[in-house]
Amino acid sequence: MPGRLMEPDGALIPFSTEVDVPLYNIQHGVKLPIFRIFVSWSRSNLLQVACIRPFEDDFNNEEDSGTSDGGDLGGKVVEVKLCASDPQISEAQRRRIAYGSVSPFAFLQGRKNALAMMSRMSSSSLGDWWQHVIEYSRSILELLENTNPPSRSVIEDPRIVLKLVNKPTGLKAAWQLMEMFYVDKHSLTWLPEQLVDWVAEYDCILSETEGTVHSKLFKLQEKLVNLQVIEDDPEYWEALSSALTVGWLDAVVKLLRLHGSYQLNQMDSRETENGLVEAVAVLVSTMPRLRHDLPAGKLGQCYKTKPDFIKAWEKWRGQITKLDCSAFWVHCGHRQTREGLRNLLQIMLGNMNNISNASFHWMELFVSHFLYIKPLTMSFEEMHRLAQKCLQLKSSSLSNGLTRLIVGALGENIEVVIAECSKSFGPWMITHALELLAADSNQNEILFSERYNLGGISIVELHRIVYAQVLFSHSLTSQIAPTYLASCPKQGLGLLEISLSRQPVQNYTLILKDLEICRLYELDKICSFVKKITGMHQWKHGRKGSGIYWFQKAGDESRLNQIAQQLFECIGCSNTNETFKQWEGLIELLGPDVGTAGGLGFLHRYRDFKNSLRHVQYGRATDAARHSVELLIQLLKSPSTPQRLWLSLLHDSVKLLNWKDRPLLNAAETNLLLSKLQELSMLQLLPDSPQLDLPPPELASIRLALATNLSRAFLEE
Amino acid sequence: MADSGDLQLFRYPQSKSVDAVRWLHPVSAFDRFIATAVHDTDDASSAVEIHSLSFSPESRNPNKPLLHLRSNWPSPSRISALRTSETHQKHVVAAVSTFAGSVHFLFVDPVDVSIDLELSTDECHQPLHNGPVSAVDLQSGGHECVSVGEDGRVNLVSVGEGGLIAGIQRELRENNGISAYDEICEALAVEEASGGGGVGGPWAGRRRPGGAGEQLKACMYCSGRVDSHKPNLYDTFVVGGSSGTVFAWDLRWQQQPILLSGVSLSGTGRSTCESEIWEIQYDIHAQTSSISSTSSTKILPVMACSEDGILAVIEQGKPHTELLAEDCAINSFNIDPQNPADVVCALEWESIGILMRAKEAASPVY
Repeated sequence: MPGRLMEPDGALIPFSTEVDVPLYNIQHGVKLPIFRIFVSWSRSNLLQVACIRPFEDDFNNEEDSGTSDGGDLGGKVVEVKLCASDPQISEAQRRRIAYGSVSPFAFLQGRKNALAMMSRMSSSSLGDWWQHVIEYSRSILELLENTNPPSRSVIEDPRIVLKLVNKPTGLKAAWQLMEMFYVDKHSLTWLPEQLVDWVAEYDCILSETEGTVHSKLFKLQEKLVNLQVIEDDPEYWEALSSALTVGWLDAVVKLLRLHGSYQLNQMDSRETENGLVEAVAVLVSTMPRLRHDLPAGKLGQCYKTKPDFIKAWEKWRGQITKLDCSAFWVHCGHRQTREGLRNLLQIMLGNMNNISNASFHWMELFVSHFLYIKPLTMSFEEMHRLAQKCLQLKSSSLSNGLTRLIVGALGENIEVVIAECSKSFGPWMITHALELLAADSNQNEILFSERYNLGGISIVELHRIVYAQVLFSHSLTSQIAPTYLASCPKQGLGLLEISLSRQPVQNYTLILKDLEICRLYELDKICSFVKKITGMHQWKHGRKGSGIYWFQKAGDESRLNQIAQQLFECIGCSNTNETFKQWEGLIELLGPDVGTAGGLGFLHRYRDFKNSLRHVQYGRATDAARHSVELLIQLLKSPSTPQRLWLSLLHDSVKLLNWKDRPLLNAAETNLLLSKLQELSMLQLLPDSPQLDLPPPELASIRLALATNLSRAFLEE
Repeated sequence: MADSGDLQLFRYPQSKSVDAVRWLHPVSAFDRFIATAVHDTDDASSAVEIHSLSFSPESRNPNKPLLHLRSNWPSPSRISALRTSETHQKHVVAAVSTFAGSVHFLFVDPVDVSIDLELSTDECHQPLHNGPVSAVDLQSGGHECVSVGEDGRVNLVSVGEGGLIAGIQRELRENNGISAYDEICEALAVEEASGGGGVGGPWAGRRRPGGAGEQLKACMYCSGRVDSHKPNLYDTFVVGGSSGTVFAWDLRWQQQPILLSGVSLSGTGRSTCESEIWEIQYDIHAQTSSISSTSSTKILPVMACSEDGILAVIEQGKPHTELLAEDCAINSFNIDPQNPADVVCALEWESIGILMRAKEAASPVY
């Protein structure tokens, strides 16, 4: 990607500012002009950007480059970290979620496999499978909880209407939605109220830019401390109506009780007003709810069956209407109170206009329908239609991932849900959430059928594979990726093999960890492959010994033989003590089994000879010297001893030949040495033969020593 | 928090990789400090962090000790080994080795555990090791430190009284036998030099100043760590290796390592786990709680942690006691010398774990 255009603000590549793209500034520190830019992916979400200056330019400016700091760089590679999609969750937290979800996921897969085995034998259906999934879902939800809850004060402040908790994450909100719609079979009956609860918990993250009931209440709460006459403030009444619309009954009652007419000094003068406020508060707190149970401390009356509920509901509405028509309103002197309270009554009576005015986000409007307009269970189709209507009414609310997820789920459109999960919440979410979708056996066709356009794998497998690749891209999470690949029947093991053989081999501990994975999944081939790669890496980086060690572990005969061959060839090239010690260590390491073709056998003998020769040097033991002679003869007799070494062997033997006490070599042995020397000399006469690297005087001294020894041997015999 | 019987494990997520953990020798009996070597992958930085361990009755779970970060020393490169001195002599000393080939010494202020002074072998003319240092070990007085590197060198660094590096003895050679192996140490050092192993291992560690570093002629491939420090009643080393192998090596019978766990070459023996043993230590707690009428040939109980997440106590001729079976690898652990019932471990999933065993036996006096 060549870029040469220079924008005044330092951009190398022109771009239009109208498009909403994230921008990253690169501190390359390379002196301009920049000639070329290369961009490539690095590990994980890192981009490597190489900025390179033109060569000629560099050359011309050589004189002044020394003065400017960093100006003499020919180019530089910088790494740019691309931000995660969800700024709410840090990378570390994301990893923590990844670690924590391994066990529940593996446990669920294990159960699934066990059940599948059992059903194959006894053909029992997976009727209560969803209960296992619920268990799984709950453990994941626990994980998504923000870890540190704020300290709870013992004394309850009546002015705190909104409990300040850590903002929940979108991830958790989405997970809970999925559980609600696809797993929990009990909850489907109580879906409307479940949605009300969901909004209560996640209202604060529904919209970041626009107002929500939560933000409205939050603002009011901050104001409460300094507010003297609370009922004069229109915001108080607005917040009250908003909270009521979404069914936060306890907040409404709490706020109502802060009304000025409750103050002791005002009781007498505002008796009627106070009566009205209290009446509304009682009505609010006795609102009938059609739900499974009501958590302790929550207001309202819980009804589990429809007939009971309808009876109570009618009665309650009757009471509201009665209060609405009562004559007391005339006696209420405070205008704001009068209007505010009647607005609340209208909301409870299900007046669409009042509700719509009091709500902000479409979800808020949506759930208020279940509370005040149509509390009886609706079909998904009706709900979907209602959601569309609410979306239209609150068209200002931007659609975000959660919105699209809810609409997709209500529209019973599983493809939309899958796409949304993966797009808005990332690979972790979709991989784990598919288990929730799969709890409903009606979806299995879509989820588990092998698709031609996906290369013959199912949607479930596709997402697991993608997630595993994400895990492999980070050194800390790569250890858990195999768990996910193991549950991919088609391409899992194949990808595991590829990924393992691409893991970095610089760190010894990491290699052992990778080998451990190989052992666990019985990937013997990859195991030896990794060892070979490590061996090559070490060998190429000059750590020859460890290279040999790894080749041996890998059982790489051919490379070990090559190494033996190399050693074999370099012996005799130089005979300094240092190099001798070096290759001696390598030979030791190679062991006796390698290079049976002859090379190594020779190397071992040669080493032994050299060693014994050293002993001879130190001591004057004739036995040791005699042993050296034996080795020398063996070496010279052996056909695998290369010819170019003969001379150096003969040179080494001079010391033995000149042994003072007695001749160490007998006549036959001396003759062998002589014949070898003769052979070498004959070779010299041939055209283009290599020159002997021994100077003539040395050669002469060998001849002399041989001759002397021969004569001494004759005399001895 | 795992809770089984007398064992309690508390986890402390760190958001960065915990490479090594050690207890620091405290000044007073009321303080407890833990040194950790951490690596942050987000910004590729490494550090030694010192945490204090305290109990707070006001916290939600009064049994759970609180871990507070007290001080932090940024390391120039990723830390490969961390050792703390076991006796307290004017300062608490920790030795740190890095992948960049340097060894650093940290002097910790006894009162506020801030890092007083740092000494580095980088200040010398020549790098101590040419390549990553695989392990360091601190002599108990805290004045000498032996280091082994992937370059096959074994170095001895002595720290002078005035807090200076008094001398570096490069490429220790104790006897002719080892010098012959010097060149091949290259390979063996990779095999975790402190553990030695492979065909003929190099060094096991120093037992006492001036004493001979021992050569490990174990015929098994092993990569784990050697613990030779603890009760030096006899010259016994315990070595952990691959495939769950744990064996003891007695200097008096050098030819025969005693297999404590794992499958021997002949195919016998029982195994605690099948995976890599990462660290091994004599279990002082088990020693004090069991009757100390051990015969001189008996190997003392050892504790080992492994890649498959097992922390176990292994005793010769007895079934193993599994203390922990985690979902992730336990990369390092350390038994508190003051309170041997407590163990700190580094868990693969970026957290520190503190395991508390029932203190049925009286704490040993040191």
